[in-house]
Amino acid sequence: MTPPWSRLELPPFLERLRVLTVKELLQLGRDVGLIAFIAYAFTGDIYVAGSGMQMQLRNATIAIYDGDDSAASRELIGRFHPPEFRIQALLSDAQDGLRLLDQGRTMIMLDIPSQFERDLSARQQTAVQLQVDASNSVIGTWAAAYATQIAATFGTDHAMGGMPTEAAMPIIASHHRIWFNPNSMDEWFVPIIEMMNIVTMLSIMLPAAAMVREKERGTIEQLLVSPLTPIQIMLPKVLAMALVILLGITSSIVMLRYVFAAPIRGSLPLFYAVSLVYVITTSGLGLAIATLVNNLAQVGMAVILALAPIMLLSGTWVPAEGMPPGIRWLMYISPLHYYVEITLGIFLRGTGLDMLWNHLLIMTLLGLVMFTIGLLRFRAQLR
Amino acid sequence: MTAAALVVKQLVKRYGNLTAVAGVDLEIHPGELMGLIGPDGAGKSSLMKAIAGVMSYDQGSIHIRGHSVSTEREAEVVKPMVGFMPQGLGQNLYPDLSIEENIDFVANLRLVPAEAMAQRKERLLRMTRLDAFTKRPMKNLSGGMKQKLGLICTLLHEPALIILDEPTTGVDPVSRRDFWTILSELLVQRGISALVSSAYLDEASRFDRVALMHQGAILVQGKPQELLQLVPATVVHVRLADQMAGLAQLRTHFPKTLGFGEWIRILVPTADRQQASERVRQILGELPCQELLCEAPELEDVVVERLSADQHETAATIPRAPPRHHAAPAPLARGALAIEAQALSKTFGAFRAVDHVSFRIPQGEIFGLLGANGAGKTTVIKMLTGILRPNSGDGQVAGVDMSHSGPMIRQRIGYMSQSFSLYFDLTVEENLKLYAAIYGVSRHEQRSRLPWILAVTELTARRSALVATLPMGVRQRLALGCALIHAPPILFLDEPTSGVDPLGRRRFWDILFQLARQEGVAMLITTHYMTEAEYCDHLALMHAGAVIADDSPLGMKQTLVARLGHVFEVETQDPYRAQQLLQQSDFPHAHLHGRRVRLFSQDETAIVERRIMARLASQGLGVPGISRSIPTMEDVFIENVLEMERRGRMAAAP
Repeated sequence: MTPPWSRLELPPFLERLRVLTVKELLQLGRDVGLIAFIAYAFTGDIYVAGSGMQMQLRNATIAIYDGDDSAASRELIGRFHPPEFRIQALLSDAQDGLRLLDQGRTMIMLDIPSQFERDLSARQQTAVQLQVDASNSVIGTWAAAYATQIAATFGTDHAMGGMPTEAAMPIIASHHRIWFNPNSMDEWFVPIIEMMNIVTMLSIMLPAAAMVREKERGTIEQLLVSPLTPIQIMLPKVLAMALVILLGITSSIVMLRYVFAAPIRGSLPLFYAVSLVYVITTSGLGLAIATLVNNLAQVGMAVILALAPIMLLSGTWVPAEGMPPGIRWLMYISPLHYYVEITLGIFLRGTGLDMLWNHLLIMTLLGLVMFTIGLLRFRAQLR
Repeated sequence: MTAAALVVKQLVKRYGNLTAVAGVDLEIHPGELMGLIGPDGAGKSSLMKAIAGVMSYDQGSIHIRGHSVSTEREAEVVKPMVGFMPQGLGQNLYPDLSIEENIDFVANLRLVPAEAMAQRKERLLRMTRLDAFTKRPMKNLSGGMKQKLGLICTLLHEPALIILDEPTTGVDPVSRRDFWTILSELLVQRGISALVSSAYLDEASRFDRVALMHQGAILVQGKPQELLQLVPATVVHVRLADQMAGLAQLRTHFPKTLGFGEWIRILVPTADRQQASERVRQILGELPCQELLCEAPELEDVVVERLSADQHETAATIPRAPPRHHAAPAPLARGALAIEAQALSKTFGAFRAVDHVSFRIPQGEIFGLLGANGAGKTTVIKMLTGILRPNSGDGQVAGVDMSHSGPMIRQRIGYMSQSFSLYFDLTVEENLKLYAAIYGVSRHEQRSRLPWILAVTELTARRSALVATLPMGVRQRLALGCALIHAPPILFLDEPTSGVDPLGRRRFWDILFQLARQEGVAMLITTHYMTEAEYCDHLALMHAGAVIADDSPLGMKQTLVARLGHVFEVETQDPYRAQQLLQQSDFPHAHLHGRRVRLFSQDETAIVERRIMARLASQGLGVPGISRSIPTMEDVFIENVLEMERRGRMAAAP
């Protein structure tokens, strides 16, 4: 018994689109390796990113030479505690500390001079020396900043030790109130960013791979002598891969919500719509890549090459305002930059289309340019 | 007694679940030229790699000159005695190095002493006539030259046994004959043994002995002449006014009867020609027979007999096509012009791939483009199908001008490409339905069309199988089915049978023949199998981008007979010397073919025999046997090319 809908005849253009899209999905569904890779990217990879990557100082090793060995010095040392710091060694000789630094066995060396408590008690200015291995500049900077903060608080506390009330001191007390991610949870921020990186990577890679596979097999020739137009050859690949990516996004969202308990304050349908636009337009880059390379291995390399600047320029790690002017302009043409803005807006700030429309508009326009370039390259290659 | 050059016993090689070589026994005597012939995937390369010591094997034993080759250490001991040339043009060479640099590199690798090396290099370069091009980078050489350079590099360390994996596949016939002559010469002079594989059955007669491989096993081995005796039969060719009726009638008695251009080819199981032709006339009964020729069976008949003994699939008559849908391309009247090429030319940079090619193909005709790889066949097809734009020239396909009606042409043609046009990760039916949708065949129409395609290509039982799991011959039939899905009146087939075994090739051609006769489909088909060309109604020979001859296969042979005469094959003890003697006397076309000398003569058999014997006897050479035959398609091709080159030189000379 044939179901009634099978008798429905679609117009040729749509029927071809349907059949070719189904074909792409069937082929993808039978590629166990690729399916496993996509599944891992949208779940495992994001989980690792969310639970492993934190942008705070954790377990920085510190070696301490306490030349004073007094109540004050011990109190200062006590303030370098886990989870930020881990005391690696208490030294009897300051020279040992330099050696440890040289050998890379400790990251920070704290040297407290012998007259530390005496000076403090005498209300005289005193100094401690902090040496930081800043080979990893980010962590080094953080470590220095934390240590400075600890020393400063220690100093203020001591200075106020004898004072009756806090208010009597003319110092500014800064009380932070962090919005949208109140506990500065990297578990929210990092996996959301990672998800967008994955979406970007797959939007480029999957259509490129699907196209190159046809080239490798030689089936592309068969399609070219058929009455299909270039856009009819391209579009089904893009649509099928977009569908797969949206499914992947869904599994990531489930994980964000239930594993990392991230809030989704805005509208999910809006997020899906934005993602669909983003995926389809970004795939243009993949199609352009497919015209330049001949096999899957080359697709892999080209995608890595293309992804690096896209991610660096997305503004995720460094805000656009912090970039030199030339690079800043490059950032403004990275579609990922806008996708990130919109997504963070929807997920964490609960912003709606009324606030994000300008970002969406720019992203769409940039994407369209990219897609058109891909289409033109593809058509030019067929000539 | 000297040790055999090579003894292989019960060799087995497996790749996971796939058994590539299934218990092969093989022996090569010193100085012997052994052929290993079989289709792609028969296990030839695996066997040769195992013998050359570059691949391990699972069971059995290999001994080269009495030395066992079973461990890597043993293989290292044997390697100096062995020369191996892998499959593919110039696979053992470096494209960016010149001829001389390639040779020097290999010689240094093999630690050939400088003095010996200079001497060998000079001699080999002279023999292969590459000495004029020593500074040319390998990548700029023609296919034939690459193979000759490959052969030199294989011979530099003077091995006792050389192993050449398909050295002639895709090489043009002239260079191919050249290659064989050089190889025979070397073997005769140096006493080297050789194991050479080939995909062409018609090359079998060049070997001292051949082993025919199929699905990892040796089907049969022995001297070529002996193998032909295995099937005592006569091939009868008949030409009838009503070919299809005759075919149907003959098939009831001889199921392997085939349409062969405008002829019918029948294998009658008796060596007595008189008796064979009488049986055929008797079966035809009322049908008037215009012409009847008897021939000895070919090696392909032997293989097909052997294979069909256990496969038992007989050629079926294809059912009539279902009525065409209104949207299907309008059928053209039989005999109407289906394809026309007018002075088509295409250049890629400085390279002229196609040079003023013209031909006309009427509806219902099978038209063959025969030529080596790189002759321009595929480029012609690509221009006619609208994938490539010609630099100059015109063409009409299905009554439409090809230069500005690409989409319209594409809807009216079916195309089956060289590299397989199928999706391996889809099933038979999924592939067919995909192409049905691409060509806009409605789902309603698919219901009548699909069963017909499955019946024609004999795939009904395999409709749910994944393409990746199907053997090559079956895949090719499916690709044909995909090309037929929208009932096109014209088919373009680009090397559709490349690498398929003889049985699969015959079935494929049988389907094509019936489609042409019954459905009136016009076909343009390219091939580099010389023997396959005879299935075509009409042929165009392509060489270096140009059509050098254009006629029916029989017409071409008759033209050659009229120009040069019949072929005589001379058996003698010293074929190399005999060939030189004969070439210098009255037979300028004398050439080596295996250990025999072939030549053309227009004179009476008795006169020719007397002259050959007199010439050779004067130099003390005995002549045990001389036989006369009609030229092969390869003769036609080579002589046409040589004639063209001669004329080219005459025109160039002042």
